[in-house]
Amino acid sequence: LLTFTGSSAMVSLHLVPRLIALLLLLPGRIRSSSPVFNSLLSDLQGDPELEERCRDLLRDFGRRYESYVKCAVPSARPVRICENCHIQFEMLRVVYNNISSDQSEGSGSNRSATFLLRADRLMLVYMLFQNLEDVWDVAHCSQCLSGDGLSNITLRYMAKLNQSLSCFESQKNNHSELCRVCRADYKDLNEFYSIMEKNQTLCIDIEDSMNATRRLWSKDFNCSFPREETVPVIAVSSFMLFLPIIFYLSSFLHSEQKKRRLIHPKRAKSNNSLMNIQDKHS
Amino acid sequence: MANITKKVSWSSRGDEPAPAGEGTPLLNGAGGAARSYSRQFSGSGIFQIGRLSTVDLEEDPAPEEESAISRPKEIPHNEKLLSLKYESLDYDNSENQLFLEEERRMSYMGFRCLEISRWVVCALIGILTGLIACFIDIVVENLAGLKYKVIKENIEKFTEAGGLSISLILWAFLNSVIVMMGAIIVAFFEPIAAGSGIPQIKCYLNGVKIPRVVRLKTLVVKVCGVICSVAGGLAVGKEGPMIHSGAVVAAGVSQGRSTSLKKDFKIFEYFRRDTEKRDFVSAGAAAGVSAAFGAPVGGVLFSLEEGASFWNQMLTWRIFFASMISTFTLNFFLSIYHNKTGELSNPGLINFGRFDSDSVEYNLYEIPLFICMGALGGLLGALFNVLNYWLTIFRIRYIHRPCLQVMEAMLVAAVTATVSFAMIYFSDDCQPLGEDQAENYPLQLFCADGEYNSMATAFFNTPERSVRSLFHNPPGSYNPPTLGVFTLTYFFLACWTYGLTVSAGVFIPSLLIGAAWGRLFGIMLAHITPYGSIWADPGKYALIGAAAQLGGIVRMTLSLTVILVEATGNVTYGFPIMLVLMTAKIVGDYFVEGLYDIHIKLQSVPFLHWEAPATSHALTAREVMSSPVTCFNRVEKVGTIVDVLSNTSTNHNGFPVVTRVMDDDEPGKICGLILRSQLIVLLKHKVFVERTRSRLNQRKLQLKDFRDAYPRFPPIQSIHVSQDERECMMDLTEFMNPTPYTVTQETSLPRVFKLFRALGLRHLVVVDSENRVVGLVTRKDLARYHLGKHGLEELQLAQT
Repeated sequence: LLTFTGSSAMVSLHLVPRLIALLLLLPGRIRSSSPVFNSLLSDLQGDPELEERCRDLLRDFGRRYESYVKCAVPSARPVRICENCHIQFEMLRVVYNNISSDQSEGSGSNRSATFLLRADRLMLVYMLFQNLEDVWDVAHCSQCLSGDGLSNITLRYMAKLNQSLSCFESQKNNHSELCRVCRADYKDLNEFYSIMEKNQTLCIDIEDSMNATRRLWSKDFNCSFPREETVPVIAVSSFMLFLPIIFYLSSFLHSEQKKRRLIHPKRAKSNNSLMNIQDKHS
Repeated sequence: MANITKKVSWSSRGDEPAPAGEGTPLLNGAGGAARSYSRQFSGSGIFQIGRLSTVDLEEDPAPEEESAISRPKEIPHNEKLLSLKYESLDYDNSENQLFLEEERRMSYMGFRCLEISRWVVCALIGILTGLIACFIDIVVENLAGLKYKVIKENIEKFTEAGGLSISLILWAFLNSVIVMMGAIIVAFFEPIAAGSGIPQIKCYLNGVKIPRVVRLKTLVVKVCGVICSVAGGLAVGKEGPMIHSGAVVAAGVSQGRSTSLKKDFKIFEYFRRDTEKRDFVSAGAAAGVSAAFGAPVGGVLFSLEEGASFWNQMLTWRIFFASMISTFTLNFFLSIYHNKTGELSNPGLINFGRFDSDSVEYNLYEIPLFICMGALGGLLGALFNVLNYWLTIFRIRYIHRPCLQVMEAMLVAAVTATVSFAMIYFSDDCQPLGEDQAENYPLQLFCADGEYNSMATAFFNTPERSVRSLFHNPPGSYNPPTLGVFTLTYFFLACWTYGLTVSAGVFIPSLLIGAAWGRLFGIMLAHITPYGSIWADPGKYALIGAAAQLGGIVRMTLSLTVILVEATGNVTYGFPIMLVLMTAKIVGDYFVEGLYDIHIKLQSVPFLHWEAPATSHALTAREVMSSPVTCFNRVEKVGTIVDVLSNTSTNHNGFPVVTRVMDDDEPGKICGLILRSQLIVLLKHKVFVERTRSRLNQRKLQLKDFRDAYPRFPPIQSIHVSQDERECMMDLTEFMNPTPYTVTQETSLPRVFKLFRALGLRHLVVVDSENRVVGLVTRKDLARYHLGKHGLEELQLAQT
């Protein structure tokens, strides 16, 4: 409901069941297959050495995929996917890049890139990776990572967040007290978040945690600004609304009404007599 | 009071006793007309009683009535008048000897060059109009952005510290100051620049010369005025003024000079006459529409629907060219401004945004719903027009001094801010901020952190951004109560604002009102139908509502459909939008005319509609014409001409030239028609018979001399004619139009009307069987007949 959960959260939640299903299916796909049909066909398809290399790459991809998904699914709620799984994703990306940039012997249809990625209509490996990459992009994870870990700004945010949360924790029995005591911390956090928002250094982890914090602050602890100036606002408004009434009344009473002078055009004499007769009739 | 009006008609011919013999043969033919006259009197009687009841606060009604009977010269302004200050354009070319000589001298190549220069002019019109649109857009965006930023910071500060009423005062103050600047330049420097300008352009294209409407000064005031009024937060749009600006640009460019700046580029001299100018103005209006809405085809159709008398294929093609160039220019410069140079897909001033492909779907079962919405739009539009009509009458009668007008505009601006603020303050509708940041100035106020006030997206924004968010924000961005309150407030604000002395259009406010209730309609639909949320996309209904409301207010049909289709970039909605506009027009026309027509009427413009009034067949040219006619002889004494021209009571513009009249009572035979402007040029150059004889080497007067004086011919008072010269003679043969259109006295009114409308005539001479001039029909003689609630009514001429 709160900030930034909107579209990104929807996408990732939507994908979760699909990921689990894939996780279960994957090992089966690689090892077991109908013995007669498939093995014969793959034997006939040519170069056994390339075949073996591809199988290795594929197996590697499967393992890393598995470890990434195993990390990502538990981090779905509350969202910690960027923080927890960036190492796994990086590894997955490496192996995928290996597959797609595989330049080993032969060219054209014989390369394992082509063999694994584009040989059929389904293009399963490509699709699987693409889905995960989309999730990663939508989550904006790269915006709070730098090098091989969380960026400095993210770490500073985390520190501020923890400060606020621990303040909340210490005062959670008395809400009015909490609003007073923790306001400085919370404001600091909020402002820092706004700066990050402007600099586009937000990822879903930060957005989600900030949403939760804001919800705590505004809804659970009820620390938003109260509407307490109703009387002056109404007073000023009614004064303003009163002005045009005075204006129109005074201009109606004091302004001279504009009159138009009628002009009598020259008309044919025949017309004249016609009107005379008509007037006699009426 | 009915008596009074009758007296008015009486006294008009009291001084000319009627020879009975001449009138009798007409009687049987004119019976229907006679009946309708009496109806007209009762109609205006009702109207005037209503007027009196408003007056009796300030003056005792009884003496006024008496004085009215004895001297019924002055009446309060109302819609049933024709003003003398408007003249007709000379669309019909005066084919005098000079003209024919010049045409004969021109080679085939000359005509080709003319044609090419017409295209060049159209390209220039498009480019300049696009640039003006671009300028307005950028300045408004920045100015409004600055204003909203200041107020937003202020509100944020005071939400925390307390003292929000100060923010309210700041908002109202900023609005008033900005609007005051706009109102001052309009009220004090160029009152004709007030309003949207569409009624004025409509009149111009209809063939009425509205004074000062296509001057450079008007353009400057219009542009600055519209910037001020939009940035000042009034419930107005900048689209209508764009059309006017385009028209002014066209009129200026095509003349190749500026009379205001006293600069003559010595180009396009051939185009210095009303015929060519009016054609270019229609191109300019089209370019304006096209820049305003990003709708080139809509612009062309607008010109055709509102203006062009007859379909001219080459003209239409040129108009289209100008429109396209204007859109292109706007796109190009906006792309530079937005740092995406060369990206030309940025549509017009108002960008409705694209509708996504899954939300554009509509189903057969939605058509009845659309039609219902059209009917609702017609009703609301009629209500809007009626309210605005009364308000405008009040304004014309009582708020006619410039300082009062400026004050009124400032008050409206302040109240708009106040109402908006109160709405935002008391709104409980909080929505989460979206990732795409569709809200430009989100206000949080009392909402939870991370949420914004939904009312503020509608009020705390320039109107067109509000329209866009109503069209495109995802379902659930607005609560129904918010939309309902917004519709109601904005309806009255917009109605109150239109007609102020600021330059501002009514398109955007109408769209905004319609979009708000349309969206509300869509949300309700989703609520009451079990599976509604799937097909009842609120954005779609917002679009249909906007179309219905706009159609209900302005009653444009063909061009509006195309404009909306083009502005939304979506042909899929063509059919529903057409249906909606049709329904809105039918329903609305049942109650009252369109807003622009109302304002044209209230300005007492002699406007000719497409057709003569339906029941006017009984009238013939004999009843319609003015008679007796002031004629000149072929060779006329200068003194006579000067006297006739200087007579302020008869402000005639065209004079039939007749063969020498032997007997004073007998009308002469027609041999030509000469215009006041031509006579003035002749007098100025002192083209007298005696002088030509005495000095043989004198330069012969050419068509160029007439063109140089166009369009601001000096008044007769500024031309000095000495006592000796008064005795000279002037030979008009060379300069008069030797082949004026004439009709006989028995021609029916619809036939005369058709001639006027199709040929763009200014004077039509009525002759008897022996070609003797018996009368003259002008635009005002025709425009005074109109079909009212009680049959055929006759308007009165008035000095305004």
